[in-house]
Amino acid sequence: MSDEEHHFESKADAGASKTYPQQAGTIRKNGYIVIKNRPCKVVEVSTSKTGKHGHAKCHFVAIDIFTAKKLEDIVPSSHNCDVPHVNRTDYQLIDISEDGFVSLLTDSGDTKDDLRLPTDEALLKQIKDGFAEGKDLVVSVMSAMGEEQICALKDIGPK
Amino acid sequence: MQGFSDGGADLGQLQTTMRNIEVACTSIQMHINPAAAEATILSLSQSPQPYMACRFILENSQVPNARFQAAAAIRDAAIREWSSLSTEERRSLISFCLCFVMQHASSPEGYVLAKVSSVAAQLMKRGWLDFTEAEKETFFYQVNQAILGAHGIDVQFIGVNFLESLVSEFSPSTSSAMGLPREFHEQCRTSLELNYLKMFYCWARDAALSVTNKIIEPNAVIPEVKVCTAALRLMLQILNWEFRNDTTSMKAGIDVFSAGVRHDNGSSKRSECVLVQPGPAWFDVLISSGHVSWLLGLYAALRQKFSREEPYFLLWIDPPDVVSKAIEEGKSESEMLDGCRALLSIATATTPFVFDQLLKAIRPCGTLSLLSTLMCEVVKVLMTNNTDEETWSWEARDILLDTWTILLVPTDGSGGDALLPPEGKHAAANLFSMIVESELKVASASVTNDDGDSDYLQASISAMDERLSSYALIARAAIDVTIPLLTRLFSERFARLHQGRGIIDPTETLEELYSLLLITGHVLADEGEGETPLVPTAIKTHFADIAEAEKHPVVVLSGSIIRFAEQSMDPEVRATVFSPRLMEAVIWFLARWSHTYLMPLEETNCLSNDYQQHHSVNSKKALLSFFGEHNQGQVVLDIIVRISVMTLVSYPGEKDLQGLTCHHLLHTLVRRKTICYQLVSLESWRNLANAFTNEKSLFLLSSANQRSLAQTLVLSASGLRNSETANQYVKGLMAHMTTYLVELSNRSDLKSVAHQPDIIMSVSCLLERLRGAASAAGPRRQRAMYEIGISVMNPVLHLLEVYKDESAVVYLLLKFIVDWVDGQISYLESRETAAVIDFCMRLLQLYSSHNIGKISISLSSTLLSEAKTEKYKDLRALLQLLSSLCSKDLVDFSSDSVEAAGINISQVVFFGLHIVTPLISLELLKYPKLCHDYFSLLSHILEVYPETLAQLNSEAFVHIIGTLDFGLHHQDLEVVDMCLGALKALAAYNYREICAGKTGLVSAGLGNLPEGIFSRFLRSLLQLLLFEDYSPDLVSAAADALLPLILCEQGLYQKLGNELIERQTNPALKSRLANALHSLTSSNHLSSRLDRVNYQRFRKNLNSFLNWQNKRNGWFRFLWSFLNFSMHLEALLLVV
Repeated sequence: MSDEEHHFESKADAGASKTYPQQAGTIRKNGYIVIKNRPCKVVEVSTSKTGKHGHAKCHFVAIDIFTAKKLEDIVPSSHNCDVPHVNRTDYQLIDISEDGFVSLLTDSGDTKDDLRLPTDEALLKQIKDGFAEGKDLVVSVMSAMGEEQICALKDIGPK
Repeated sequence: MQGFSDGGADLGQLQTTMRNIEVACTSIQMHINPAAAEATILSLSQSPQPYMACRFILENSQVPNARFQAAAAIRDAAIREWSSLSTEERRSLISFCLCFVMQHASSPEGYVLAKVSSVAAQLMKRGWLDFTEAEKETFFYQVNQAILGAHGIDVQFIGVNFLESLVSEFSPSTSSAMGLPREFHEQCRTSLELNYLKMFYCWARDAALSVTNKIIEPNAVIPEVKVCTAALRLMLQILNWEFRNDTTSMKAGIDVFSAGVRHDNGSSKRSECVLVQPGPAWFDVLISSGHVSWLLGLYAALRQKFSREEPYFLLWIDPPDVVSKAIEEGKSESEMLDGCRALLSIATATTPFVFDQLLKAIRPCGTLSLLSTLMCEVVKVLMTNNTDEETWSWEARDILLDTWTILLVPTDGSGGDALLPPEGKHAAANLFSMIVESELKVASASVTNDDGDSDYLQASISAMDERLSSYALIARAAIDVTIPLLTRLFSERFARLHQGRGIIDPTETLEELYSLLLITGHVLADEGEGETPLVPTAIKTHFADIAEAEKHPVVVLSGSIIRFAEQSMDPEVRATVFSPRLMEAVIWFLARWSHTYLMPLEETNCLSNDYQQHHSVNSKKALLSFFGEHNQGQVVLDIIVRISVMTLVSYPGEKDLQGLTCHHLLHTLVRRKTICYQLVSLESWRNLANAFTNEKSLFLLSSANQRSLAQTLVLSASGLRNSETANQYVKGLMAHMTTYLVELSNRSDLKSVAHQPDIIMSVSCLLERLRGAASAAGPRRQRAMYEIGISVMNPVLHLLEVYKDESAVVYLLLKFIVDWVDGQISYLESRETAAVIDFCMRLLQLYSSHNIGKISISLSSTLLSEAKTEKYKDLRALLQLLSSLCSKDLVDFSSDSVEAAGINISQVVFFGLHIVTPLISLELLKYPKLCHDYFSLLSHILEVYPETLAQLNSEAFVHIIGTLDFGLHHQDLEVVDMCLGALKALAAYNYREICAGKTGLVSAGLGNLPEGIFSRFLRSLLQLLLFEDYSPDLVSAAADALLPLILCEQGLYQKLGNELIERQTNPALKSRLANALHSLTSSNHLSSRLDRVNYQRFRKNLNSFLNWQNKRNGWFRFLWSFLNFSMHLEALLLVV
């Protein structure tokens, strides 16, 4: 990918690119970063020098936003890192199917049925319980680098 | 559980008790049902009059732990029941304990003896003010006999030991709690200090003396050592007593003693050195009795016995070179260190002059020379074996450095440096050159060890800083030698770099320069610590013979460093020489140096004062004016600004360096008006402003630096002569940000592009800059900042909507608004205030609608807790926003009042609170800062606008009351204090309303609470005061809240009081309790008005009530649990 595609004025479809280069020194805690080709959220940044009179390097500790695995990376702070384009979309939750999929209502009125429920028991329970109580739930779906996952629930009042 | 009261105890019963306790103690040790065992032991100490049982256990039990617990039980019970015990009983308890320890002095379980001994000491203290002198005499006679050694070594030891516990009981810092007011402890302390302490000291000394001879005998270890150690420990403890009663009347008689003694303790010390201050009354005991020589003799003898060494401190350190060599060859270093410590102690007590004279009688040169030679030797040793381990030479260096610091730190408060005799100056100069040599050696050697451990680095930097300021003191003592020395060292290294460029690896030289820059920065200038530092006195007063400014050594040295720094502008030189680390030292030096020397304030004073004698320029003036506005100042300022821009642009990603430039150097510059005037007219400063708005690389600075740079640039506008140009300047700086944000928020595809990382980065960067600029708003620039804020209001709301899931951006948005409102609110006219308030409410509502009822879902617990922390930070920002809005009622510079425009700040803030409180869960209140902010806002609002509470809907009301209740039981004193303040305000408001014939808070639509809020708080406050642990500092605040509560709920108060009295079975106690409760509300002419006098009276009443009640605490707790139980029962019955 060339840098041109990432430019501010680029066409709308350029927004579909999955990652953007950004100087390592400018990536901060709570920002996103790609480590080992995985989209991560940075939980810790520290800087040190290469040798006494060398240049600064950044040490990142980050957590994979989908798998929750901890990853680390060291990059010279003037070099570029890849930053994932993380998007979030809100959908209203219509149904939870038996085979582990959810049925969501998009803004345009269509349904989206291809999203799996989380496999983790605790998370699954949070969603199912809320739904079973008859609450009107909106789910936030986070997507990055071709993956997506439910990342938040919001109760917008009883049905 | 049955109690262990003595009532009619027979032998069988005592034995059962003993067995029970023994079993309990054993089972605790073996971890068998510890809870039950603890309960058994507790019931012993809590039962009334358990003394007989305890004595029985102490005397008969074979289980040491049981004896220990019995002693503890005596203590607990006696302290609790003290006031109801007869004098005879009290005395017998103490003498029992004393006799017990004496009789069992040889028992192997030392901890039991120590416990009994300390119980005796505590009881003695408890009765200290009641016993007659004769009674005390009797006890002490017994103790004295023991200490004299009449009953053998073991008893002697026990006697000393008892005195040790007694002294520590009477010293406020080590005393145990007795549930008595502080005055009691103070009185005991004074009494002991005046009447007994010296006597104890003499006893201890005599005890030590009596065994000395035996100890010195070259036999094997003997039991007397134990006594001697204990006696010495007691003597040390007494000498460390915090003496208060300095009878100055005696001073005339002991002038010899106080000659040359300094009374300052200002400097911080690395090595411990305690100055004993028992006061003149001790003169005879300490000095004239000659026991110092005995002590030294003893020390010497012990040394001789155990290691066969010569005993006098001079011999340990003199001649230094021989000593240090001997230590390096394996001799013990402890004598040498003791000798250094002796020097330190002497320095603490004398002036430099007296210090130097001390050894003149026996040696050809002064003590300063000796100190200097000694330290040189130590430094030499440090140089030769440079390891990371802390060797003796480290310790010796630290002690000796402290000695120098104490000698040289200015003492007269005028900032003047201590003057040394010429020989001393010479010594200081020698030492400084040795120190620099060693630091340089360490620096060049450190190049090879590359430990990237930044934590360690940070720690060593702060230690280094302290050391450097000591070096600076030494250097300034011989300033006319040391400045030229530094200049020479610098020029040697510059030359080496220049010649070797491209040929030799410069790293060693770079590291040496790094060290030299740090040292020189400390020598030339002080830190200032928030104030404007002056040119150090030593530098001002020396070099009197130098008339030409260019030849002033300080000018020469500064000039050479600045010229060197300027070379960093050349890209080629920069690449080879100016590593980021060296550049950090350069920037640090420039910041420190320019704070003192660049266009100094003194210059103007100096010039105006003696303008007439202008042709006879003295060196001081030459130095001050050389870098002044009208001389080289502008040129140097220009160089510094150009270097700063260069570090920001040409060192990408070097956060530390750029941080130093932004926070340290540039910030220092804009703090002074004189410099700001020059800055705004400089081409280079305009370039910086230009780069700030246009240059891509400046967008890559880290967030804190971004903010700081924006702030600095806005602050420099204070150099512009009128507010119109200042506002214009600020607008010019900020235009690019507002334009970008407005354009972005108007884009139709905002939603799809906003989450691109590059857009997020630009937005964050601009928000940081706006925030920095907003925090620099001052009266002159307020207009511009106001307009900037207004123009981005709508974009801010748009962005908040779009980035609602991007917590980092949300936080920046909120922080910008918080800082902006904080800087603006007090200046705004009413119409503008209305607009700002309206905007803030929209912001709050929007934030709330995004977040209420939202649950984050993630597999990672780290990410979840991060999300919670982010939430906490957001809410804290929102509370700060509300606080700022609140302040409009207090600080208002506008021409019309806000009420004129129909704005009611209280309603606004309550409305805000209404929006925010549902987001603040009790869970989040566990964050201390949030909790603090929340309660300070809440108590402020309730104190100033209690009436608006009634306007809240019941859900919000219940929530606020719930948090108040939570806060009342918080651990943080301040939080409880604020809650009590809020409670007082509420109840007082309610009472006044009712008195005025109005409805008050309770019936104002809030009657749907299960019980009135005030009765609920009355109950919980009483519960807190009577039965829970709380700090005595809270009593006043609690009294202030309790009075209006009682007045509001008189019926309930009566009822609660009666219930308490009714539960009391003992008729004597019953009437006493009734009396106490009665006098709480009636003594001191307490009336039912809520004015200051009445509050004060009630405070007094509550204090005396609580003092009385403290003694009865055990009973009350018991009663209260009953009361609570019955209340629950009633409630249950009601429900059924």
